[in-house]
Amino acid sequence: MKRGLLIFTGLIALSLFCITPAWAHFQMLYTPQSALERGGGMTLKLVFTHPFDAGHTMDMEPVQEFYVMHRRGEEGEPRKTDLKEYLKEINWTGRENSGKAFEAKLPSKIMRSMGDYIFIVVPGPYYEKADDEYIQQFTKMIVNVGGIPGNWHEPAGLPAEILPLDKPYANWTGGVFRGIVMSEGKPVPHADLEIEYLNYKPNMEKNAFEGEAEINASHPSFETMGIRANAQGEFAIGLPKAGWWGIAALGSGPVDQHNGKGLAQEAVLWIQVTDIP
Amino acid sequence: MIKKYFVLAAVFGWLILPGSASAHTPLFSCFDNGDETIFCEGGFSDGSGAASVPIIVKDGEGNVIFKGELSSTSDIEFKKPEGDYSVLFDGGEGHRIEIPGSKIFE
Repeated sequence: MKRGLLIFTGLIALSLFCITPAWAHFQMLYTPQSALERGGGMTLKLVFTHPFDAGHTMDMEPVQEFYVMHRRGEEGEPRKTDLKEYLKEINWTGRENSGKAFEAKLPSKIMRSMGDYIFIVVPGPYYEKADDEYIQQFTKMIVNVGGIPGNWHEPAGLPAEILPLDKPYANWTGGVFRGIVMSEGKPVPHADLEIEYLNYKPNMEKNAFEGEAEINASHPSFETMGIRANAQGEFAIGLPKAGWWGIAALGSGPVDQHNGKGLAQEAVLWIQVTDIP
Repeated sequence: MIKKYFVLAAVFGWLILPGSASAHTPLFSCFDNGDETIFCEGGFSDGSGAASVPIIVKDGEGNVIFKGELSSTSDIEFKKPEGDYSVLFDGGEGHRIEIPGSKIFE
């Protein structure tokens, strides 16, 4: 009887373990508001986490690249500004632990002018023990100042990136966001994408997620939503809730080995959704 | 307040130019360089530039104290006036935006 109970308990535990969702890794490049009326100083948080669950925060490796590409209007070349000098190491606290992250307090001279600012971070590859491989996410987040569009729809020249077909900073709740997955400048047919909602509010002062979950998903498929691009690498997603949504194109980068192990290079794009007032 | 001007400009543009094929809205912004100069830039919501649009600076009494126009890169810099002032982006009927000096910060 006792043995039967043990086996039964073991099976229950195993089944619980098996249905525990594998939340997607997302490199966050966060600021509270991406559509700004006017320019000025801005603080960004760079956190490697699982945004829907906000549980385990991974220790970020040193940042390889961190810069912004700005253009006001549709003409001319974007101006690139390196931002690595503004990086400062912080500890970001999720619901389960704290992990090494970074913040950047940008002075007003960086983004006073109107137009689009494409912020890009390329972190060093992170070793994911559970998968025995490295992961590296080329991450973009786009801010607009004053309403004059610029280079939001143009490639930033990353090895892998998601090219927006809609402005990432101007999306109403209930709308649709479209994009194209690119690898080395070419569309990725049938690219594998994961989408997660930033489900816990980031506290910029405490460097932590806080509060309750905005969404209580009924099934793991609704936590990390998986979709496929079409044959031209294009995809479209609905936007049912205001807030930040992360989109990751899995394995879209050209390099697949690092330090003798597998490397998953992924393109990440963050978009912000706003309720109609 | 600036938002109000944006909205007003958009509304006027829509009402006055119903036959226009262009749906763009004028946008204008200024900031204080912190060295006794003011930098202003303009453009339109479709990303097109505003080169040669007249810029008129008035004092608190409404007197014109500076006239210029946006450069080929749609911006202009001028000496910061003493006391109250405002900056007008004069893009023609329905395309005018005026920013009071009290809303121009470093």
